[in-house]
Amino acid sequence: MTTANALDTTIAVVTPENIAFEYQLAGPFRRLPAYLIDVATRWAVILLVVFTLMMIGLLSNVLSMGSFLVATGLVVYFLISWFYGTFFETYFNGRTVGKWACGLRVICVDGRPIDGTRAVIRNLVRVADVAPFAALSSFVDQASPIFWIPTGMVGFVSVICTKRMQRLGDLAAGTMVVVDEKSWRLPVTKIEDPRVPALASYIPGDYRVTRSMARTLAVYCERRAYLTPARRREIAMHLTTPLIEKFEFRADVDPDLLMVALYHATFLSDLRLEPAALGSLVGASPLLRDVKRTESNGQGPAISLKEKEMPVVAAIVDETAESIPEVAEVQVEIESASHPANEVSDR
Amino acid sequence: MNIAMIVEKRQQQWVELEKLCDALELSGKDRKTGAAGVSRFATLYRAACADLALADAYQLPPATVTYLHRLVARAHNRLYRAYRIDPTTWADTLLRKAPQQIYADPCVRVASLLFFGLFTLATILGANDQWFPDFVPQLVGQEQINQLESMYEKPVTGSLDHYVTMAGFYIMHNTGIGLKCFSFGILIIPCLFEIAFNAVSLGAMFGYMSRESSTGGDNFLHFVTAHGPFELTAIALAGGAGLRFGIGLFHTKGYTRKDSLRESASRAVPIMAASAALFFLAAFTEGFVSPSPLPYVFKACWAIASAGLISFYFVVLGFPNDQYDSQRHDGEADFDPLADDDKDPIHAA
Repeated sequence: MTTANALDTTIAVVTPENIAFEYQLAGPFRRLPAYLIDVATRWAVILLVVFTLMMIGLLSNVLSMGSFLVATGLVVYFLISWFYGTFFETYFNGRTVGKWACGLRVICVDGRPIDGTRAVIRNLVRVADVAPFAALSSFVDQASPIFWIPTGMVGFVSVICTKRMQRLGDLAAGTMVVVDEKSWRLPVTKIEDPRVPALASYIPGDYRVTRSMARTLAVYCERRAYLTPARRREIAMHLTTPLIEKFEFRADVDPDLLMVALYHATFLSDLRLEPAALGSLVGASPLLRDVKRTESNGQGPAISLKEKEMPVVAAIVDETAESIPEVAEVQVEIESASHPANEVSDR
Repeated sequence: MNIAMIVEKRQQQWVELEKLCDALELSGKDRKTGAAGVSRFATLYRAACADLALADAYQLPPATVTYLHRLVARAHNRLYRAYRIDPTTWADTLLRKAPQQIYADPCVRVASLLFFGLFTLATILGANDQWFPDFVPQLVGQEQINQLESMYEKPVTGSLDHYVTMAGFYIMHNTGIGLKCFSFGILIIPCLFEIAFNAVSLGAMFGYMSRESSTGGDNFLHFVTAHGPFELTAIALAGGAGLRFGIGLFHTKGYTRKDSLRESASRAVPIMAASAALFFLAAFTEGFVSPSPLPYVFKACWAIASAGLISFYFVVLGFPNDQYDSQRHDGEADFDPLADDDKDPIHAA
């Protein structure tokens, strides 16, 4: 299927299994908290080391030990402040503490994991990425402390200007930062309104939903929970008006309900195998010819039919807006209950 | 077709895959799951890949497809893991690739000329207190000079603790300068500025301390002589690596700009590795030789020996030979030796 690329922060990667899957890229506002956490962690580690060295110095109390400890402390400070990111990204599969906390990961642009050399490059170039003000501090001695804070504008501009949201270090190393969250929910749209299968059972059996239509239906049903009833109707009308004519339905069938019914017929039920359980809705028909038939019939039975039918149709037409459960989308969380190991080959 | 049923059927395996992902989160191995768990993980991963590949044919809802994309991406990251830094390649990088690259690279020449040229110039200007008496105070400030002089008041012999602390500070400071030069290389101008600024200020201080009138001049020379060659060369090299890196943005040689940047970064890495090795030697010298009460003659000999070693490294190891070039091109098409090995189980059977 060839669809236009979504205006979205995803990037496709082809794996050795020869399938293309999509990574969600991490933008600047996901990466900033991760970076701040990393800075905090780095300083915490440095302070811990300094504290430990001080304790050793105080406890050992050997003459001239102090200066060696200070020298060691300086060297350790240097190593931690420059190679913290390199170490973590190499040994923890592309994650630092901050990235782990924020659900991010560094990978190569071709989807392979990051290697040591790339980790070195991208972490050294960070100095250029957090420029400019960190650089100015080296020749403005009397600058107020606010100018010592790195602004990160170089990296920021680079991130928002590149397709893969790479800062300069990423560009040089050929890496990108992707979202790799720990758990997701599998969203399943459930429909509980009894009128939906009823209406779905009237959709002609020879009607085949096209691929793009199926996608549209699925997207619509996932999204409709976030829309007001009026907006739902307005959006659905564009698709349902020709369909209502085609199916020979009454013109006042609710467009939203018809979309949901189509979704139900396409994805959730197999009408050819199981008849829809109509319950109290037996006899309620959206078909135009049924309306005409009831009208052409004698007065007596027509009234009773109408009385029986009208509220239902009215419900289909009007009440739907309010009465279809607002949250049709049920987030089915993946439970952690243990499943018996299934044989994969049964697929 | 009933998507709900398909999803429900497949979901059990997806959940299992998620759980294995959790188990394999950190180490790539897990005691509980063991080898069977890992192979089960691979099977489930391929099954999920197949599901994703067939998602279009199944006409799965987009939300489910998004879920599958993330699941596969996550499992992919568990299965294919980061290559760690492999120490066995270091010798090859340091002794073969790096000197060849350094010898052939014009960026290294530019950076070295800039650094050592300005350094020498600033030293001469700083040392001459008759013609340019105000050069150093104007450049680095009187406060800094006083600080510098007070730092070297004590003789190196007998005040070990003072100089050990200073060695620690200079390892941090000067290696930091080198790494900064490399990092800013990508922006070129800050890199040139860093090189020039540090060359001039270091040169001025060297010149000032070599004046007859300065206090602590002898101590200064006593302290810096031993590690000077290693450290200064390392800074110049780091600047060269940085420039090589940044030039890739402009001198693309027919690549796209991004690819050119990446390619020049990989060319800069051996230079940076050599620079790091020199920094390490400098740090070693600075930590154990410079602050020690050894006689000045020994330290001077150390400096001469290290300069000779660097020259040997650059010129003898770096002299262009055809073998390196041909090997470099062979390396690009590097096939897995197992592929045409006689022990291939399929052909052996």
